[in-house]
Amino acid sequence: MPTHPEKVSAIVSAQGLGKQVETAAGQLVILEDIHLDIAAGESVAIVGASGSGKSTLLGLLAGLDQASSGRIRLAGEWLDALDEDGRARLRGEQVGFVFQSFQLLPSLSALENVMLPLELAGHRDASTPAAALLERVGLGARLDHYPKQLSGGEQQRVAIARAFVMQPKVLFADEPTGNLDAATGQRIIELLFSLNAEQGTTLILVTHDDQLAGRCQRAVRLDAGRIVP
Amino acid sequence: MSLAELRLAWRMLLRDWRAGELRILMLALIIAVTATTAIGFFSDRLQRAMVEQSAELLGGDLLLQSPREILPEWQARAAELNLAEAQVLEFPSVVLHGEALQLAGVKAVDARYPLRGQLRVALSPYGEEIRETRIPSVEEAWVEVRLLTLLGMEIGDWLELGETRLQVTRVLTFEPSAGGGFFAMAPRVMVNQQVLAAANVLQPGSRISHNYLFAGEDRALQAFQDWLRPQLEPSHRLLDIREGQPTVGAALERAEQYLGLASLVAVLLAGVAIAMGARRYADRHFDTTAVMRCLGAGQRRIMALYLPQLLWLGLIGSGIGVALAWLAQFVLFWLLGDLLPTNIPAAGWLPLWIGMASGLTVLAGFALPPVLRLRQVPALRVLRRELSPMPLRGWLVYGAALLALALLMWRYTGSALLTATVMGGAALALLILGSLAAGLLQLSRLMHRGVGVAWRYGLNNLWRRPLLSISQILAFGLTFMAMALIVLVRGDLIDSWQTQLPPETPNHFVVNILPEQRDAFAALLDQRAIAHSELYPLVRGRLAEVAGEPLGNRIQPGDEGAGAVYREMNLTWTDTLPAHNRITAGQWWPTGGPTDDVMVVSMEDRLAERLGVRLGDVLTFSFGAEQRQVRVTSLRSVQWDSFQPNFFMIFPEQALAGQPSTYMTSFYLPLERKGELTTMLRQFPSITIVDLDRLMEQVRSILGQVTLAVEFVLLFVLLAGFAVLYAALQASLDERLHEGALLRTLGASRRQLRSAHLAEFGLLGGLAGLMAAIGAELIAWLLYTRVFDLAYHWQWPMWLWLPGLGALLIGLVGYLATAQVLRHSPLAVLRRL
Ligand SMILES: Nc1ncnc2c1ncn2[C@@H]1O[C@H](COP(=O)(O)OP(=O)(O)O)[C@@H](O)[C@H]1O
Ligand SMILES: [Mg+2]
Repeated sequence: MPTHPEKVSAIVSAQGLGKQVETAAGQLVILEDIHLDIAAGESVAIVGASGSGKSTLLGLLAGLDQASSGRIRLAGEWLDALDEDGRARLRGEQVGFVFQSFQLLPSLSALENVMLPLELAGHRDASTPAAALLERVGLGARLDHYPKQLSGGEQQRVAIARAFVMQPKVLFADEPTGNLDAATGQRIIELLFSLNAEQGTTLILVTHDDQLAGRCQRAVRLDAGRIVP
Repeated sequence: MSLAELRLAWRMLLRDWRAGELRILMLALIIAVTATTAIGFFSDRLQRAMVEQSAELLGGDLLLQSPREILPEWQARAAELNLAEAQVLEFPSVVLHGEALQLAGVKAVDARYPLRGQLRVALSPYGEEIRETRIPSVEEAWVEVRLLTLLGMEIGDWLELGETRLQVTRVLTFEPSAGGGFFAMAPRVMVNQQVLAAANVLQPGSRISHNYLFAGEDRALQAFQDWLRPQLEPSHRLLDIREGQPTVGAALERAEQYLGLASLVAVLLAGVAIAMGARRYADRHFDTTAVMRCLGAGQRRIMALYLPQLLWLGLIGSGIGVALAWLAQFVLFWLLGDLLPTNIPAAGWLPLWIGMASGLTVLAGFALPPVLRLRQVPALRVLRRELSPMPLRGWLVYGAALLALALLMWRYTGSALLTATVMGGAALALLILGSLAAGLLQLSRLMHRGVGVAWRYGLNNLWRRPLLSISQILAFGLTFMAMALIVLVRGDLIDSWQTQLPPETPNHFVVNILPEQRDAFAALLDQRAIAHSELYPLVRGRLAEVAGEPLGNRIQPGDEGAGAVYREMNLTWTDTLPAHNRITAGQWWPTGGPTDDVMVVSMEDRLAERLGVRLGDVLTFSFGAEQRQVRVTSLRSVQWDSFQPNFFMIFPEQALAGQPSTYMTSFYLPLERKGELTTMLRQFPSITIVDLDRLMEQVRSILGQVTLAVEFVLLFVLLAGFAVLYAALQASLDERLHEGALLRTLGASRRQLRSAHLAEFGLLGGLAGLMAAIGAELIAWLLYTRVFDLAYHWQWPMWLWLPGLGALLIGLVGYLATAQVLRHSPLAVLRRL
């Protein structure tokens, strides 16, 4: 139920988004009056100083948390119309994530980590596409290794494989290179963008690295919880 | 340690409490203290009751029990020493009221009874208790209230004892020298000794206990004892107050020890939970500690903050535990009510202090090591979070815990050696059972292939921490097993014992049939078509020597059954080998007795083995003052549970010639014909009928009560098991929250996560139940086949309901405890970590 005909093609859309939390010191406004439309296939960087609210915004757009005000539409569905399980289903089907701190499950091998979203969605043969994707990110020989046994860059490559294995419409990445050295980070970025191009994914990327932001088609700048031009 | 530091420690404690950091520690501590202290209160009260009442219970300062009248010289000697003396005869006899009859323990007292203490009676059932200064007159009988109910009588009704009628005028509520043993279970009737002649219930050879009470000055008592002891025969028992009343004690004392040891299992489990809680507590204080160190706090300072917190925690937790224990012991007394004396003094303060001390000991043993580790947190941790203090040394953790446990156990066993043996045995058992649990866990991995992702994820959680899982399977498995065994013993064991008896198995024993009544009694049974075994003569005699050696030399130390041989035995004579007996060595004599030497005996083979008696050995029997020697010419195997009269020693008639005898037999009378017992007794007042059905009922009810009490203690064990589960969940909660959030980020629904949790805890419980089933089946098999000689049947329902119940119970608890994994939004969790 699109409200504006011209926004039908927007795959992520935020209207009047705000987020406040109660703290001991009173109410803290983290985000305020955010309007944002991101078209399918677009790559957008969210930039801003540390503490400006980037991660919070990303989390809201991806449906990992609930907004205090405003509405979000993700892949054609209004998030406020969904309950937590509905959002989980939507995430599983349409959304991929890459985090700064990799967030692999320590008890699962590289292959099992990548298989996980497929299995959660009930795919019969999860291991073939998962292994193929790990091959694609250059870890074909490390399928049975556990996260502990992998370097930071390798872990992030597993995480990227896990994010792309469902062929998501939207990929959210929160400072994916933040925990990596420059050279490794560079290779991760290359991988991310090339997979993105292959699958035609919409990429929403939080970073404070201007060079990285420059590789995106558009940058949204946050300052103290507001979008600044 | 300054006052300011104490106060700061208290404030930190409050803060941690509010943050929920200490709940599991506290809970586990309370469980441990409650479990041990409840037992402590229980035994304290029992002991007090025994000490307080022992003189009263004995009815004198000294009690001599004898199967016969004692020599007049002994009484003369007591009189010489100015000791007062009273006589009490105790014997089982059947009493009647109208058509109703009941086997009672008759106690015939003389006018001097009791020398110490006072009789307490009531004028109506459950009426007010009053002190009675006289004994029953020759027309009265005073009875326990049970007897009134059993016979459907009221005060003022008439009771038949043998050939006399006595009016019931008092309800006995407390009687000095209550006696005990087998017939203590039978309700008591107290009569005047002078009625015995008229009642005509006592015959030579009847089973009577002659009790002689003495009282007087300590020196005279001591002199009497010193003089008497060397002359006593093994069948005599001399008790003074200091030895107390053995009959109240033995069984209860053992039950008390078992309860105590069972409560230690609860302590051990709770200790594990405490250790886990303390570890988490310490881990969570690494950062705070690092900051305090940055701010200049030295190691001593750090400890001065944390140790008082432990102390506070210990005092509060133990206090609550002791209070709960005080309530719990009432439940124990209530459960065991019918088995215990009615007036039990209140508990003293000692168990309270011991309870507090146990609490602090447990806390020190299990929680101190992780907290001590805080001393070593490096200040640099503020910059580099991965810097943690050195992990604890294993010996420190286990050493402290073992020491604490050994200290507590020592309290129950009272012996260092026993403590060491029990701990060693327990360690071995744990090792074996632990391997079993590990095997089961390994087996369950076969499920890995066949289940969906949610289940697999949940099961992975179990397999990922094998040690933790094994210890939980063990903890719950053992608890379930103990509970299952109790249920089994109480229900199935007794049932199958009864149903496996052949039909028409005798259910009544008759003793005290006089020789002149013998034919008439047999005729009565035949005439009424009552199936019965032979009538056997009974002669009382004692085995004195084996092959010229005193019997004492032949009895192995620790041979529990030997007491039966020491006392007077029931001997018999016959020319026909009884059914259910089989000659295993030597030869049975022909009808009419042995042709050459008539002084021979046929001996039961297992007793022969125990005493090292071989074919051809000469045994010396004493009958009062007379001694006879007989040669063993055959050994027999006896089927003891045949409910026929069975004998260790069978003689040819000539060998026992001239000894006073009575006859005994057993017969089967179906329930609906029990009324005929009354006619039987009317016709033969002196006989004693023991109703096995009723005896079984009593055994069943005693067993029921004791097992209930044990189950009550097991409840604590189960609670402690849940505390461990909870602590383990807490310890892994951060990880679980994190993974839960991640999984939801990846699209897992809450239903999937829920089934993952259910799978994990359900499998845990199921495996524990399976282990319990294996263990219970094995022990039950041993019990049936080795101890009770019963045909074993597979306890298959157990294999269904134990794993099922385990899966349900633990699945539910684990599921509820992990509910918060689903509650928080994924972003909040991911941000927090
Ligand atoms: N749940 C919360 N409670 C309190 N403060 C929060 C919460 N979530 C975010 N914040 C605060 O909001 C601000 C923005 O956070 P974040 O979105 O993580 O910023 P960025 O990713 O741009 O560094 C920070 O100051 C952070 O501390
Ligand atoms: Mg951020």
